Amino acid sequence: MTKTKHELYALLSDAVVGMDEDTAAALSREAIGAGYDAYETIEQGLAKGMERAGKLFDESEYFVPELLMCADALNVGLDILRPHITTEERSEKHRIVIGVIEGDTHDIGKNLVKLMLSAAGFDVIDLGRDVPPSVFVERAIKEEAKIIMISSLMTTTMDGMEETVQLLHEKGVREKFKVAVGGGPVSSGFAEKIGADGYASNANQAVKLANELAQSK
Amino acid sequence: MFTPKERLHNTLTGKAADRPPVICPGGMMNAAVVGVMNKTGNTLPDAHYTAEAMSNLAYDVHENTGFENFGIPFCMTVEAEALGSSIDFGSLKCEPKIQEERFASVKDVTFMPDGSIEKTSRGEAVIQTVYTLSRKHPDIPAIGSLTGPISTAASIVDPMIFLKQLRREREKSHQVIDYVVNQLISYAKQLADNGAAVISIADPTATGEILGPKMFEEYAVLYLNKIADAVHEYGIPVIIHICGDVRMIKPQLHQLHGNVLSVDAMVDLKRLKDDLENKRTMGNISTYLLEFGNAEKVYQRTKNLLTKNIDVLAPACGLSTSTPLENITAFTTAVKEI
Ligand code: B12
Repeated sequence: MTKTKHELYALLSDAVVGMDEDTAAALSREAIGAGYDAYETIEQGLAKGMERAGKLFDESEYFVPELLMCADALNVGLDILRPHITTEERSEKHRIVIGVIEGDTHDIGKNLVKLMLSAAGFDVIDLGRDVPPSVFVERAIKEEAKIIMISSLMTTTMDGMEETVQLLHEKGVREKFKVAVGGGPVSSGFAEKIGADGYASNANQAVKLANELAQSK
Repeated sequence: MFTPKERLHNTLTGKAADRPPVICPGGMMNAAVVGVMNKTGNTLPDAHYTAEAMSNLAYDVHENTGFENFGIPFCMTVEAEALGSSIDFGSLKCEPKIQEERFASVKDVTFMPDGSIEKTSRGEAVIQTVYTLSRKHPDIPAIGSLTGPISTAASIVDPMIFLKQLRREREKSHQVIDYVVNQLISYAKQLADNGAAVISIADPTATGEILGPKMFEEYAVLYLNKIADAVHEYGIPVIIHICGDVRMIKPQLHQLHGNVLSVDAMVDLKRLKDDLENKRTMGNISTYLLEFGNAEKVYQRTKNLLTKNIDVLAPACGLSTSTPLENITAFTTAVKEI
């Protein structure tokens, strides 16, 4: 018996929360087979599941290993569904470049932010860790990104965030990008001080922030 | 009158001392701040490489900060480098970091022969430094610092894949961490044999917040204890430092075999001690206060900490290299005044 699309979305969401790659794959194929819209299946099934997983992480029910495994189940489903998205749906995505600032090796938080952003439908380009300000700027220009997201876990390296903002000014491209910052020692006050456009304290909030920044002019 | 070494040893083994020691164990938690290096001219990154430079800087740190120990080395990369990862040694003010983890998966790890850490030139330099300083200054405890088992494992295997594999590839994960632990134990023995008064283990990747209580127990507790038990066999005490908020992992902390438990600034050590039935505690002056506060504030805060029945006074976690020297001395002075 075929499932209604809402039943299927709910099960797909559960598969992500349950870290179950096989079920996520099977349900994703089932959605295609049943002729359900791939984009909607991602949004209401997979991405919904990842959003729930992110909430469980915030509530300390899930920890980093669990969240990463949920993301794997999500990705298995995405690989199956993505080729079926129509081009017109695809063009809606906003591009983000994300990375950890120069000198800093702490990348667990950045990686979580990245995967929540991807799950929420952003096109995320990961520059990795220990990324100099100039590389943030060059890549953002080259990739025609809308948002630059910078992570720093160390007070010693967080000044590189300000340098990045200044470099954008120097190159005359500041208004082309929104800049968001985050990580342990960073605060909204700091973000404001260095002239960034936003700050978020965790991966879920980062998605909210990215949505806001993507909408704003 | 107690020497700093007697004071620390007695404190860590439950014997009487005149007052709590104030230390900074090295490794993740080291006090090689820019202010010390600029003053003496013995600088990083040079002091990461040779025993001579390392000994000079370790001595400078002790001499200028007032910490009652030598804390060696000044980074968390000696072990991972020996086990195959490439290192970026940083600069005067930025600590070394893993450039690239050697392996993409726990399944790819190639096991090197036992004793590999102490055979590298930097491993040797650390051991030689411990030897030299403990000979030259027998009253000052030389603390040999290890990067903990989970952090070291996650420094040779890509950390994101590693953290998943703790769940997905349990058997292989255990095998890899056990291999790392045997390497650490062998290295710790060399440190002990060459004069280390204490072994300190810090394992930042193994926090309750990152792993959660179950994984923390399955991996962190098991392997930290394996090292602590081995070091105890060599007859020296062990410091275990756990980063971050520990509320969720209190029962697991109770199971740790270290002589003293060191924790981060958000933890109320008075409560922790009550909750853990008198386990010895170490800490925990905020590293942010040390960096951004002033000497007066640090002094006041230290006086307050001294009412909390803390066994060993120390920074709460890894210091920023730009921490002002006068804030550190305000901390150590406030303790020594007792
Ligand atoms: C794990 C850890 C490590 C691991 C890192 C493994 C890895 N691959 O990432 C290892 C062992 C390698 C390590 C090394 C060091 N560490 Co460390 N480490 C930590 C620790 C305990 C946890 C960080 C973490 O991963 N948290 C879990 C993640 C999920 O949380 P998060 O990073 O905060 O990210 C969340 C939010 O902040 C937010 N977010 C993050 N980035 C962004 C970006 C944007 C744009 C947005 C919107 C949001 C956002 O969303 C995330 C998810 O919710 C912290 C202390 C702490 N409690 O934070 C110290 C800490 C960061 N380390 C510290 C230090 C000192 C070091 C070392 C310098 C030690 C040394 N002496 O060598 C080296 C670093 C060398 C270098 N040059 O980089 C200090 C930094 C002090 C300072 N200068 O400011 C800290 C703060 C400890 C302390 N003193 O209290 N460390």
